[in-house]
Amino acid sequence: MRSNKLGWMLLAPTLVILGLFGVVPFIYVLWVSFHQWNPFAANPEMIANGADNFRQLVFDTGFLSSLSVTLAFVFFAVTSELILGYALAQAFMKDFPGKAFFRTIHTLPLIMAPIIVGSIWKLMTTPSIGIIPDLLDSWFGYDLNIGQSAVAAFVTTVVMDIWHWTPLVTLSLIAALVALPADPFEQAQIDGASKRQIFWHITLPMIRPAIVATVFIRLMDALRVVDEVLMLTGGGPGSATRYIGVHIFREVFPRTNYGYGSAVSVVVLYITILVCWLLYVGLIAPRNNKA
Amino acid sequence: MANVTIDNVVKRYGAAEIMHGVNVDIDDGEFVVLVGPSGCGKSTLLRMIAGLEEISSGQIRIGGRVVNDVPPKERDIAMVFQSYALYPHKTVAENMGFPLKMAKRPQAEIDSKVGKAAQILDLSHLLKRYPKQLSGGQRQRVAMGRAIVRDPQVFLFDEPLSNLDAKLRVTMRVEIKELHQRLKTTIIYVTHDQIEAMTMADKIVVMRDGRVEQIGAPLDLYDRPQNVFVAGFIGSPAMNFIHGRIQSQGAALQFVAESGLVLPVPPGSAEEGRAVIYGIRPEDIEIGPGGIPVRVAVIEPMGAETQVFAKVGNDMIDAIVRQRIAARPGDELPFRIDVSKVHLFDRATEKRI
Repeated sequence: MRSNKLGWMLLAPTLVILGLFGVVPFIYVLWVSFHQWNPFAANPEMIANGADNFRQLVFDTGFLSSLSVTLAFVFFAVTSELILGYALAQAFMKDFPGKAFFRTIHTLPLIMAPIIVGSIWKLMTTPSIGIIPDLLDSWFGYDLNIGQSAVAAFVTTVVMDIWHWTPLVTLSLIAALVALPADPFEQAQIDGASKRQIFWHITLPMIRPAIVATVFIRLMDALRVVDEVLMLTGGGPGSATRYIGVHIFREVFPRTNYGYGSAVSVVVLYITILVCWLLYVGLIAPRNNKA
Repeated sequence: MANVTIDNVVKRYGAAEIMHGVNVDIDDGEFVVLVGPSGCGKSTLLRMIAGLEEISSGQIRIGGRVVNDVPPKERDIAMVFQSYALYPHKTVAENMGFPLKMAKRPQAEIDSKVGKAAQILDLSHLLKRYPKQLSGGQRQRVAMGRAIVRDPQVFLFDEPLSNLDAKLRVTMRVEIKELHQRLKTTIIYVTHDQIEAMTMADKIVVMRDGRVEQIGAPLDLYDRPQNVFVAGFIGSPAMNFIHGRIQSQGAALQFVAESGLVLPVPPGSAEEGRAVIYGIRPEDIEIGPGGIPVRVAVIEPMGAETQVFAKVGNDMIDAIVRQRIAARPGDELPFRIDVSKVHLFDRATEKRI
C-alpha cells in the first residue's frame, strides 16, 4: 500500500499540470461552445444556446471554405515533406564530404519560432524587396505577388511549411533507417529483389511505424497552423490562406465571438481525430489483417 | 547445381590486405565447410561468393561463369545468414515465397513450392505465423526454406547454427546434412566450430589470417594435418603439443622433450638432432602396462570416457580413455602412446615432417 501511495505522489505533479492546462481548458472550451458569449457585445452575458453554434457552423461558408483550404494545405504540405524528408534521409545515410555540416544546417529551420519563420518569408516574398519574387522574375519572368494571387499565396504557405518542417521528417526517418538491421537487405539482394522492389517490399514496411508516427505529428501540427500563415499572408488574399487556425483567430480576437470560436475549435479537434483515425485505418489496420 | 572456383582471390580494405590469394575448387554437389577462428576471413570469402563484398583481385567462378562483377541477384545462389535475416513484417509463407515473388512467378507455383519446402522442413503448420512468433530453431528452418524454394545453383550458409542451443544444433546439423543428401546441391558452409566441419563436410577448408592452411576430407585433415595450426584446430579435445628434439638411442630414434620426458617416435620419421613439435591426440593415448609413467593433475570423468590431464615439467598432456580411472591427482599412471599416430612438426616452420 505504501508503494502505491508513493506512486501517486510521484505522479501528482504531472496529473495536476495535465489537469490544469489540458483537461480543465478543454472542458471549459466545450462548455463555452454551447453558449453565445461576446463580452464586448451589447449583452456581454454568457447565454446558453444549445447546439446553435454548431448548427450555424454547418452553414457557415467562411468556415467550410476555410476547412477545405486547410485540408488541401495539409495534404500538399505533409505529402511533400514526407517524400522530400525520405529522400534527404536516404541522402544523409550515404557518406559525402561535409555531411555533418549539411545535416546540422538542414535542421536549423526546426529551432526557429513559427512567428520568425513567417516574418522571414514575408520579407523574402514581398514584391520589389524580397529575393524570391526577384529571382522568379529574372529566371522565369514570373511575377510573384502573394498579396494578389490566391494560388501564389497558397503555394507559398505550403512551401514555407515544407521548408520549416521537412527537417523533422528527415531526422525521424534517419533515426528509423539507422536502426534497420543490414541482414534483411543483403538477403533481399540475394533473393533477387531490385532496388525498387527492396524499397517497396523491405524498406518501406520496416520503417512504416516511424513514417506513421511522423505523419501523425505533422498532420496534427499542420492542421492547426496559425502564426506563420498569419504573419505571411494574414489569411489572404481574400480567404485563400485562411486556414482553420487563422479562421478561429480572426473569429475570436477581433470579433470576440468566444462561443462560436470555441465551437469551431471543438469541431477542428474532432476533424483532427477523424483524419488520424482514417490514416490509421488506411495505413496500419489493413496491413495487419492482410498479412 | 554448379561447381565453384575461387581463383587467387585477394581482399583489401584500403591499404590493408586481409585475404592473400585464396584458391579453392568446389565440385558440383559438394558440401564444403570453411572453418577457422574468428577473423580468419571465412565469412568475408563467403560474402564475396555471394556478391555482398567486392573482390579486390582474382576470380570467382560459379558454374564456369566469372561472377566478379555480377550482382548477387543474378548469381543464382541462396544464402542463410547467422541472424537468419527473416523479413519481420512478412509471414513464414511470405518469407519463403519472397525470392519467387521477386522473380514474378505465378502465385500457384509459389504456393506449391513453399508448401513442398514447408513439408520437408516441418513448417506446414507455421506458414501464417510471423518470425517473432517462432522459436530460434523454427526461424532457422524458415531461413533454410527460403533458400530451398529457389532451387539455386549453390547454397551459402554463414554460421547458421551459432545462435541455437547445443541440443538443437545437433538436430539441425543432421537436418542440414540430410537436406544436402536429398537435394545434392553444392553447399558452402562457414563455421568456427570444427565439430560442425568434421561431421558435415565432404571437404574442409581450414583458414587462418586470410590464408588457406589446408584443404581436404575431414578424416584426411584429422589424420594428416599439414601444420601445427590445423592439427590443433581439428579434433576435440585438441592435440597435445610437446616441444623437444629427436635423439638416437642405439639404432632407434626417440623424442626427448625439454622437460626431459622421453616419448617414442615412428622409425625413420625425422633425422637426429632436429628440433620438433611432437603431436599426439588425446584419444591416441591409452593407460596400460608398459606405458610412460606420468603424474596425474586432473581427472574429468564424463561417463562414456574419462579425460586425464598429466603434468610433465611445463607440458600438460591430455588423454582420453574409455576405461574408468580410480587414480587421484598426484598418483602416477602409465601413458601408452600409439606410435603410428604420432605427428611430428618442424619447430621453425611448424610444418609436418
